[in-house]
Amino acid sequence: MPELALELRGITKRFAEHVAVRELSLAVPRGSVYGLLGPNGAGKTTTIRMILNVIAPDSGSITVLGSPHLTPGLLDRLGYLPEERGLYKKMQVRRLLRFLAELKGVDGKTADRRITEWLERLSLKSPEKDWGNAKVDELSRGMQQKVQFIGTLLHDPDVVILDEPFSGLDPINAQALKDVVVELKRRGKTVVFSTHLMDNAERLCDSVCIIARGEKVLDGTVVGVKSEHHKLNVALSLGGDPSADVSAVLADRALVLKMDDNNRYFEIEMTAGGNPQLLLQRLVGAGAQVQRFELIQPSLHQIFLDRVGAAGVEEGMQGHG
Amino acid sequence: MGKLWAVIKREFLERVRTKWFIIVTIFGPVFFGVIMVLPAYLSVRGMKDVRVADIRIIDATTTGLGDRVATRLNGGPMGNAAATQVVVVAPGEVAAAESLATKDVMAKTRRGYLVVDSATIQEQKARYAGRNASSIREIEIIQDALRSALLGQRLEREGLDPKRVEDLTRVKISMSAERITDKGRGGSGIGSAIFGFLIAFLLYMMIVLYGQNILRGVLEEKTTRVAEVIVSSVSTDVLLAGKVIGVGAVGLLQQAVWLGSAVALYQLRMHIFTALGMPAMPNLPLPQMPPMLIVALVLFFILGYSLYAALFAAVGAMVSSQEDANQAAQPVIMLLVFSIIFAQPVMLNPTSRLAEIVSWIPFSAPVIMPMRMSAISIPWYELAGTLAGVAVTCAICVWLSARIYRVGLLMYGKRPTMRELARWIRQS
Repeated sequence: MPELALELRGITKRFAEHVAVRELSLAVPRGSVYGLLGPNGAGKTTTIRMILNVIAPDSGSITVLGSPHLTPGLLDRLGYLPEERGLYKKMQVRRLLRFLAELKGVDGKTADRRITEWLERLSLKSPEKDWGNAKVDELSRGMQQKVQFIGTLLHDPDVVILDEPFSGLDPINAQALKDVVVELKRRGKTVVFSTHLMDNAERLCDSVCIIARGEKVLDGTVVGVKSEHHKLNVALSLGGDPSADVSAVLADRALVLKMDDNNRYFEIEMTAGGNPQLLLQRLVGAGAQVQRFELIQPSLHQIFLDRVGAAGVEEGMQGHG
Repeated sequence: MGKLWAVIKREFLERVRTKWFIIVTIFGPVFFGVIMVLPAYLSVRGMKDVRVADIRIIDATTTGLGDRVATRLNGGPMGNAAATQVVVVAPGEVAAAESLATKDVMAKTRRGYLVVDSATIQEQKARYAGRNASSIREIEIIQDALRSALLGQRLEREGLDPKRVEDLTRVKISMSAERITDKGRGGSGIGSAIFGFLIAFLLYMMIVLYGQNILRGVLEEKTTRVAEVIVSSVSTDVLLAGKVIGVGAVGLLQQAVWLGSAVALYQLRMHIFTALGMPAMPNLPLPQMPPMLIVALVLFFILGYSLYAALFAAVGAMVSSQEDANQAAQPVIMLLVFSIIFAQPVMLNPTSRLAEIVSWIPFSAPVIMPMRMSAISIPWYELAGTLAGVAVTCAICVWLSARIYRVGLLMYGKRPTMRELARWIRQS
């Protein structure tokens, strides 16, 4: 059994006008949940498409479960949920799902059994109503997303690759997706997903890779990435609006290097010699109603902002949270 | 190959299940049958309306000529001679009988009246007046009856047995017409020309209908973004092949149903025509084709369809919207229209220089050659040469289309320019 579910070495992909991915190398441990993080246009989707042989890299090698990814039959062990979702609109859900399973080499009988299981599990089939017999375009958007998700998993893939799986999901479907991801990991499957939502990644992932402008910024386990970042940040919550005095303390560049201001909640990065205790004293002295003052490891979001910088953050980043 | 099979199955079943397909497949033959039978039926109905028996014959000849005419108008000695009134009058009473007859015609108890008198016998002159005087067909019938009656009377007067006279004067002629052009006799008859045109037209229909069907299918996969899921499981080549084969199978099924029902209609034509009260149609001899020609025909069929199907698929992969598709498909459709424009002149004159030239053009050969093959015998080298031309062109088109398809399937936005297309072909 190979240790790595996926290994990319020196992958480069050029399009006519620009380089989408440059010399990207990464390794996804088997049985882990892996996050591919980066702003929109960072090259996440291009990377994923190359892994699935939807497009070919200009250079570099891709290994899936220990074999080159073009090995015949290997793609059948991958499940893929593209960012742009879509299904044949006029097809009956069951027939569509059976078709998707057959494309992955599952025989019809096994497919039918699993389809029924999944439809029931994601509440698309109940004694009253079986949406499996409906046509795709009779389903609501949320139901269509569920169907697509089932299509990704019907062949019981060893490696599941989800491109921006949370975008466009309502909270209930998002919860269902998280549950399934966790269960897949328990069953020893590897899940790779791309996202620009750092909070999701921080909660779900064992390891991450942050890429920006087609290049790797950092990678490693979430714990490792955080501890390598060395710094401790201050998490601060205030009761009521900060007074002018409090604002002045927070604006003191001798203590506070950077601050992520969320109105009532602040994540504060101290200056190199800044003493958190001194900051707390001055805040209390300025009359702040401190509800929470905690030394924390920086969030992935903070690390991301730190390393990629504001320039690498494009319009896609407002999705934080 | 299980995946190719899965794609073929989906393309085939999803199309065969549509209402559109079922309606067209079942009602197509009914529609064609009606179109073929209706004019014949109407013309037979029209013939029945030719009624000349209910006229009055005013006979002032004193030779019984009126009775003879009446017998002929009513279909011979067995007919119902009572239907035609014969009024025998003295030569002097003709005017009075005529004015009475005019009243009857105006009152619609009679259709018209015919006057035969001594002038008829001596100078072959007769008079007719009636509501149907402008009907060429009806007047012709009356004239025929009169001519034949007069001829019979003369023969009898020469001493011939009346029975013999009846047999001898009852002459029906059926004449066939064959066309002669400056190249000689025009083909081997109308039957094979119709057959050839039918084959060409079926192929043309199949390419137009199912080629565009493929285009729409590719476009659907692009616009619904389902393409990306599929190409992460199968290669675009397999997807393209599955599509072309699956849709082609739908077309073949439809044609098989159509051809099958055409053959069935042909076999049952006697019953159908009898049921409709029509005389049997003249026998259209189906041309006898040697097996080699049938093989060539099928090859033209398959290669021609694949060629155009691949082109339509490439067009579908190039564009992102139906409006763009209509425009981008123009050149391919032009190639097809170009082929069918020449179908008629080629059918009329399958040995002409024009027919030979369009047979050697690979884009029109699949439509033109089957037509010529069934009309005239084509030298084997021409058959092999044109077939090879189509095969090579088909291979090139499929190769180019597969490359365009591979890149285009995941490209969205504006239509590529020719230069961009060339780059797609190079880079994939």
